[in-house]
This record gives sequence, C-alpha cells and structure tokens, in this order.
Amino acid sequence: MSLSLLLEKYDVSTEEGLQKALSEVEKEESEVDEALSGVLSRACMLEDKLRTASQAYTKLSEVKADAQVAADMVDRTAELARDVSAKVRQLDLARSRVAECQRRVHDLIDLQLCSAGVEAAIKANDYETGAGHVSRFLSMDPGSVAAARARGAADPRDAMTRAANTLREHIVRRFEDAAQKNDDENVDKLFKLFPQIGRAEEGVRLLAKYLATKLGVEIRRLSVVAEGEGAVFADAMTRVLEAAAAAAARAAALAALAAPGLLPAALAALQPQVCAGVRRVSGALLRAAARPASALQAEPALAELALAHSTIQLYFAFLTRRTQADAASLPEAAKQAALDAVEKLIAECDLTRTAQDILGHYLELEKFFLEESVNKALKMATPQPGSTTSSLVDDVFFIARKVIRRSISTGSVEGACVVLNEVSAVLERDVTAVLRRRLRAAPPDPLPLPAPPAPRAPRLALDLTALDLTADLAHALNKDVEAQRLLFLAHLAEAEAGAEWAARLAEEAVRGAGGAARGPTDTHKVESCAAGLGAAAAALALAAEQGVAAVRAGLAPRLALWADALVQPAPLAEELEDDADAFPQALEQFSECARQHLPQHTVDALLLAVVTDVATRAEARILHHHYDREGGLAAERRCRRAAGRAGGGGARERAARLAQAASLLALERPQHAADVLRPPRLPPARVRDILARRTDFKIEDIKKLKL
Amino acid sequence: MEDYKFLFKVVLVGNAGVGKTCLVRRFTQGLFPPGQGATIGVDFMIKTVEVDGEKVKLQIWDTAGQERFRSITQSYYRSAHALILVYDISCQPTFDCLPDWLREIEEYANNKVLRILVGNKTDREDREIPKHIGEDFAQRHGMYFLETSAKEAENVERLFMEIAVELMEQAKCKELPKYDGSLGPINGKTTSVGDGSCCLRS
Ligand SMILES: Nc1nc2c(ncn2[C@@H]2O[C@H](COP(=O)(O)OP(=O)(O)O)[C@@H](O)[C@H]2O)c(=O)[nH]1
Ligand SMILES: [Mg+2]
Repeated sequence: MSLSLLLEKYDVSTEEGLQKALSEVEKEESEVDEALSGVLSRACMLEDKLRTASQAYTKLSEVKADAQVAADMVDRTAELARDVSAKVRQLDLARSRVAECQRRVHDLIDLQLCSAGVEAAIKANDYETGAGHVSRFLSMDPGSVAAARARGAADPRDAMTRAANTLREHIVRRFEDAAQKNDDENVDKLFKLFPQIGRAEEGVRLLAKYLATKLGVEIRRLSVVAEGEGAVFADAMTRVLEAAAAAAARAAALAALAAPGLLPAALAALQPQVCAGVRRVSGALLRAAARPASALQAEPALAELALAHSTIQLYFAFLTRRTQADAASLPEAAKQAALDAVEKLIAECDLTRTAQDILGHYLELEKFFLEESVNKALKMATPQPGSTTSSLVDDVFFIARKVIRRSISTGSVEGACVVLNEVSAVLERDVTAVLRRRLRAAPPDPLPLPAPPAPRAPRLALDLTALDLTADLAHALNKDVEAQRLLFLAHLAEAEAGAEWAARLAEEAVRGAGGAARGPTDTHKVESCAAGLGAAAAALALAAEQGVAAVRAGLAPRLALWADALVQPAPLAEELEDDADAFPQALEQFSECARQHLPQHTVDALLLAVVTDVATRAEARILHHHYDREGGLAAERRCRRAAGRAGGGGARERAARLAQAASLLALERPQHAADVLRPPRLPPARVRDILARRTDFKIEDIKKLKL
Repeated sequence: MEDYKFLFKVVLVGNAGVGKTCLVRRFTQGLFPPGQGATIGVDFMIKTVEVDGEKVKLQIWDTAGQERFRSITQSYYRSAHALILVYDISCQPTFDCLPDWLREIEEYANNKVLRILVGNKTDREDREIPKHIGEDFAQRHGMYFLETSAKEAENVERLFMEIAVELMEQAKCKELPKYDGSLGPINGKTTSVGDGSCCLRS
C-alpha cells in the first residue's frame, strides 16, 4: 500500500490511526519479506539449472568431435572397399586368361596327338578315328595355333594338315574302291566321313557320281521297251523315273547328313542319266505313235503320251519338293538359292525338252483324233432314209469330254488349254454348221397344230375334218415325210442340249485343270480357253433359234387359218362353246406334242411365237370382215377364250390386245368403246377402224368418239 | 465382277527373239524385262484400256516362236480378234520368215482377223530392213504396219491402242456379243470375228 493511500486510509494524526497504519505497514513488510525469501530460494534453483545446462553444452561439443571422427572413418572404409573390388576384377581376368592358356595348351597338345593319331589311324585303317581327330583339329580355336606361332614355334598345323590330306586321300581311294565294287554299305559309311574332315561338298560330289553311274546302268536296263500289250512305253518311262526318284531320294537322305543345301548339286549330277534314259524311251514312243491310220489306232498312243508326260511332270514336282525339304532349315537367301538352282536344273535339262516334244506330239495326235472322230460322227449322222433320231450331239460331246479329260491327265495346263481350243473350234465350226444346215428349213407341218373347225356350214366342217384326217393318213403313210419331221425335231432338241453340254463341259474343264494350275495366271488361262466352249454353246443356241424360226415358218399357213377363224363374223349358235374353245384346245394339243420332242423352254418359245403370230394376224384380219352384233359377239368370245389360255408372259399380253380389239366388235353402241379399253390401250385410229367394221354403227358416231 | 464392255483376243507371232515378249511386257507392265528366257508355249496377259470412255479388255497371248511349240500356238489363232506379226528390223532372217508365218495365219486364223505387221527394235543402230520395205510388204498382204521399240517404249502403247479402237469399231458395227459383266468368262461369248463383214479395211 502506497504511502499516500495509507495516509488517506488511516488518520496518522492519531496514535490509534498511526498504530493501525504501522501494523498495516508491518504486516506488509512481513509479506514482502516472505515473498523475497521465496524469490531468493528460486534464484538458487535457477542457478542450479544454469549450471547443469552449461555442463551439458560442453559435453555436446565433445560428441560432435566424436561424430566427425566416425564420418571420416566411414569415408575411408568406402575407399578401401572400392580398391578391393577393382582388385577382384583383375583377379577374375587373370583367372580367365589362365583358363584360356590352359585350353590352348590342351589344343596344342591335342594337335600333336591329333596328327600322331591320324597317322596311327591311317596305319590301322581306322578312318573313323582319324576323321574324328581331323574333326577335332578343325574345331580348334585358331588363336591357339596363332599364339604358338607368335612365340616362334614351328606351325603345328603343318603336320596336322599333312596328316589330314593323307587321310582324305585314303578315304577318297577307299570310297572309289567301294563304289567300284558297288559296296553300298561302305559307300554310305565312308561318305559320312567327308563332312568330318571338312569336305562335305567333295563327299556329295563323289556320292552323286557313284549314284549317277549306278543309275545309268539301271536306267539302260529299264529303258529297254518290252514288246507287248498295254502302255509299254509309258510303263518303261515310269520305271526309269522311279529308279531316278529312288536315286534322288537316296542322295537327298545322305546329303542331308552332310550339309543342307547341297542337294541341287547332287541332283544335277544324276540328271543327265535320267534325261538320256527318258529320251531313249520317248524316242521309241514317238516313233511308235507316228501318225496312225485311224482315230481308233491313235487311242493307245494318246494314252501313252498323256501318261508319259504326266509322269515327267510328277518327277519334276518330286525334285522340287525334295529340294524344298532339304533347304527348309537354311536361311532365307540360301533356301531361295537352292530352289532357284533346282528350277534352273529343270528348265535347262533335256528331260524338259523331251516333255515338250511329247506334249507337242500328243497335241498333234489329239487334234487328229478329235477331228477324225467328229468327222466320223458327222458322217454317221448323215440322214438315212427313214432315220428318225440323231445321236450326233451326244456322240460329239462324248468325244469332246474324253479328249478334254485326257488332256487334263497330261498334267499340263498348256496342253489342256490347247485341247479346249481345238474342241471349241470343232464344235463351233463343224458341228454347229451341220446342225444349222439341218435346221435351216423345217419339213411341212413339223409339229401338228390342228386346223380350225370350219365356220358357217357344219356339214362342210365335217368334210374338212375328214379331209384333214386323210391328210394325216397320207402323212403317216408317207413315212419319209414323217421321218423327216421327227429327225428335224431331234436335231432341234440336240442343238439345245448341245448348248447346255458345252457350258457344262467348260465348267468341268476349269475344275479339272485347276489341279495342274501353278498360279492364278494358269487358272485364268484355262478359264479363258474354256470360254471358247461358251462361244460354241452360243453358236449351238443360235442354231436352235434358227430351228424354232423354221418351225414357225412351217406353221405359217395354219396360223393364218386360225387367225381368220378367231375373228370370223359367223356365229355357230348350237356349238358356240366348242367353237370358242377350239383354239385353246388346238394349242394344248400342239404343246403336248412339242413337249414329247423338245425341251420345255423351246416349247415355251414356240407357244409364244404361235400365239403372237395368230393374235397379230387375227387383229389384221378383223379389218377384212364386216360384223353385225351377233358376229361381233362370236368373235369376241373366241378371242377372249384364246386370251384366257394363252400361257404366260408376252403371249398373254399379245392375246389380251386381240381380245380388246374383238370386244369392240361386240359393243351395243360405239359410245361404249371407252368401257372396254384398258391399258395397254389400242391406238385410237385402230379403235375407229375396228368399230367401223360393225355394219350397224354410224361413221359419224365413231368419228365423234373421244378416245 | 469385272466391268468391261468388250473383250478382244490379241495374239503375237513371229520368230523367236524378235521381241514379242518385250512388247507385251512393255505394254502390260510398263517395263523392258532384262534377259528373261525364251517363251515356253503360250503366255497370257491381260490389260484393260479405255476407248471413248468404254472399258475394253485386251487378252494378250504371247506365243513361243520355236517350231516345237507350233501345235500349241496354232490353236490360239482361230479365236484371235487381232494377230500381231513381229519381225526384228535388225535381223533379215526374221523378215524372210514372214511368208511362212502368213501361210500359217491363212491356214489357222479367221480370214477376217485384224492383222498388223510390226518391225521391232527401231532403237538399234544396225537396221537391216528399211522401213519402206516393211510397209510395202504389209500393204501387199493387207496388213496394218507399225515400227516399234519395246526398249524405248516407242509406238508400243499406240500399237495396242489402235488395235483396241479398230476392234471396237468393228464390234460396234457388227454387234459382236457384248459382255454385260453378269456373264462369267465361261458363259460369256468370246466370239471369233464373225463372217458378216462390214465397215472394215478395204
Ligand atoms: N534393242 C532392242 N532389243 C530388244 C527389243 N525388244 C526385245 N529386245 C531384245 O531381244 C531379245 C528377245 O526378246 P524377246 O521379247 O524375248 O523375244 P521373243 O522371243 O519374240 O519373245 C531380248 O534380248 C530383248 O532384250 C527392242 O525394242 N530393242
Ligand atoms: Mg517370247
């Protein structure tokens, strides 16, 4: 309490007040004392703490020094470790050099042993062991020898090379001995040593020479053609090529042991023997197949030539396949080189020439056979009096198919193409020409279309029918005419069938020759030549069309009668029904008969032609008659019935137009014309002309019509 | 389906080595092939060209000149629309053989076939047949005439294009059956040049 406050609070003028103030002061003093002693005691504590802190600080700097020392030590240790690993690496290197040295020392020791060993082996006739040593020598690290030489030692290879050469000479001599003796077992055994002594190619060459000689002997024996029946030449050729294939297979098996890719060289050595053998056989074959007197005589030769050619093709295919297999493991470039080599071998060898000669001869002979056979078929098809059928087209296509199949059996796309060309030529030129000649004109009444019933006078109609019957009888009696008629129809049917045949044959050929095709070009070639048969088919179809036209021409007089009958103005009251149906019935009879001789589509074509023809004529005939209502109604009825059964398509349309024209004749009044006209409408001028045929219609009325 | 309106067969004949194969390659592939072997039998190439906006497919048959392939090559004459007879202007014997070739053409080809005489290898310095001699020969035998170089691509395109144009004109005025594309090559009618002669060469 401050003094002023004290003075305010206590009245120090009084003792009591003073006393009180004093006691207050004293009390405060004691409190201050107490607080002071408290503070003092704490100061002591603080001092203690301060001391401890400064002690700790001194210790810390000691620790820092220690840590520095430790860090230095770690650095030094790392450096040491680095030094150590470098040393370890050097050590490794040193060790591997030691190993290499050891190997070279071994090699050199071996080399000594090898050359000594080879000499010993030669002495002991143990060529396998000798070859083993040489093989070891060849597989040695060339560095060993170089190192030895670098230190000035005599070239240790000299002795070895000398020994190896001696060994090679021995092996070659032994091989030739074995070859001489035909000792296959030793030949094979010795052949296997050549690759070991680094002479694989020489081995293959020697082996091929051996096989070629053997093959030559065998082929000379086999190429003697036995006299006899059957395909003696082709059989001989097959035997020769089978022997060749066996030799090639053996060469392939052994060459594969030596080294892949050597086969073409071996095959090249064998090939001259094969060529010569086949040439001998083919010479005999070609002499025997020289132009025969008849198609019949040519057939065995043709079969032989085709077979011989296909056998050669198969042999070539075999060579290519073996070479492919042999070279399969080689890198791409070497593989291609091997394939190119064998392709070149095939292309340039005499066997290819022989095959070409055989094919050429085959084609000439096949052409001869085809032309002879077809000519014979054409000659046989010359109509004999009374003949009513023809197998011309069947015969020709039988020949064509045989010839095409044989050409495919040669295995040559080229050959098949040529034969397709020749067949197309014969069909288009010779066969079609004959059919066209035969189909140019039809005999009278080629297909019976009944005559229309006679109008107006029933009695006369009966008489006419009787006349018709007599005519039919006369036809039947006149067998010649009847035969002509049937033969004509047979040819017409044939021409149609021929067109189908040709198309089918073309398909067959493309499928058949597909097997021999060696690429898309070959396929295109066959397709293109087969298309020639398509042209022949078209020509035959054209001949058939001509035949149909001739039939129509033959029917023309009767069609004119029908046209007139349909639009007759005369009603036949009591027989109205029959009368109206006469034409549909006649058509039915006609097509039934036609169907017996001709294919359906030809019948359809004929019906269309007949209906069109009759309808057109009938419409024109209307303009020649005069009608009353009765007559008009009768005509309308007949025409409507005709239209109702006119068959399909164009025929129906044409008959409908006629019905429309006839319905104009049946009108009550000309003004009703518009009611019967429906699309496709008759032209207005024609409508007026027709209406004008009605005697009871007035011209002015007709003129006034709006059409 | 291929879309072409007309298909014509063109056959090349003439001695071996006159350059038939080179002419065909030049036209169909645009190259002069280095040393290929002699043609075996008959080779087959196709090129479609355009004439007056219409696609014309030329089927080109390149024949081997050697005698031993005669039975193969002759069979292609009949259905040919055009025959190109080639000789080598630097090789007299190839010209001297022309009458033999003509005889063969007379015998096997359609008598209305378009025939073109071609003297090839005009790039060569050592010409032996003057141009007018070739022209004379062609005229005497009713053939078109052209000199070419397969090597320098001289007149090769023109040769085949003129054939295409001429055949198309013939076809149009004769109405050779057209290929409407819906017919495969088998059913298609590869007509030989038919008999009805009209607007062709005098
Ligand atoms: N200089 C020259 N050489 C040609 C020409 N056309 C072809 N040849 C060469 O004549 C040789 C025979 O050609 P090729 O087309 O195979 O004749 P082909 O037997 O008629 O098919 C080849 O060496 C060609 O390089 C040409 O236009 N000029
Ligand atoms: Mg050529």
